[in-house]
Amino acid sequence: MKGMTIIVKTISSWVKMLIVLFGIYIILFGHLTPGGGFAGGVILASSYVLLMLAFGKEFVQKDLPLALDSKLDCLGALLFAVIAVLGLVLTDRIFFTNYLYQEYLPGKEFELISAGTIPFSNIAIGLKVGASLFLVIFLLSTFRRETSANTKE
Amino acid sequence: MPYALCFLLFMLGLYCAVVKKNMVKIVIGIMVMEYAVNLFLVMLGFRVGGIAPIIDRAQYDPVMRQVAAGFVSSSVDPLPQALVLTSIVISLGSLALMISICIRTYEKYGTFDITQIRRLKG
Repeated sequence: MKGMTIIVKTISSWVKMLIVLFGIYIILFGHLTPGGGFAGGVILASSYVLLMLAFGKEFVQKDLPLALDSKLDCLGALLFAVIAVLGLVLTDRIFFTNYLYQEYLPGKEFELISAGTIPFSNIAIGLKVGASLFLVIFLLSTFRRETSANTKE
Repeated sequence: MPYALCFLLFMLGLYCAVVKKNMVKIVIGIMVMEYAVNLFLVMLGFRVGGIAPIIDRAQYDPVMRQVAAGFVSSSVDPLPQALVLTSIVISLGSLALMISICIRTYEKYGTFDITQIRRLKG
């Protein structure tokens, strides 16, 4: 799939930085404002969809290979599981407890560093949702073209 | 009254999923049904004249470290909203699965019409 004209390519290469910044803001401030992991992950995936529409599929496949995307997906899930299991280890045999808020890093209210392990869980969920949504959209849009080209030859 | 309209939306989705012959229209009908169920669950926690269930500095008293007393009695219920969020993500995953089944079936049979798909082709 080819990309678009050079005006669209230039503008979208500037706009993608704003979209990624907005997605990271929604993920990081998920314990203070509405949003959190799911919404921020969808916004991060949509920035790569913008790149796919403006530059073509080969550019995005070179920029973020599918093997690396699968590994990011699994890394997000593993990070979430590690955060939950550390509650079992560090605090008195209670699984998935907010050990950072209770003992190590209480923080002040309405600041960025507060509410314990919730920002880290949001980061893990945002990584996983963004990676898997991008994988779904990319594979669903490239899958049909390849096999129809195979059956034509 | 809003519950009756939500039920009407669910019935529209059910009609689409049962009567239509095009596979993509059946998928759209299933998605409309899922939207109606999520909307109904969020509307269950609504309170007339309520505020959003977000604590900001206006409701918080830093001296006593507790929330103002009027917050709980005047905010909408946040628990259905939190649970419906995961339900929306689940419906997104099931939509991806249904679309990929539609694509694979189109490649094997060459049509989206479910009355033409009779025998199982391998």
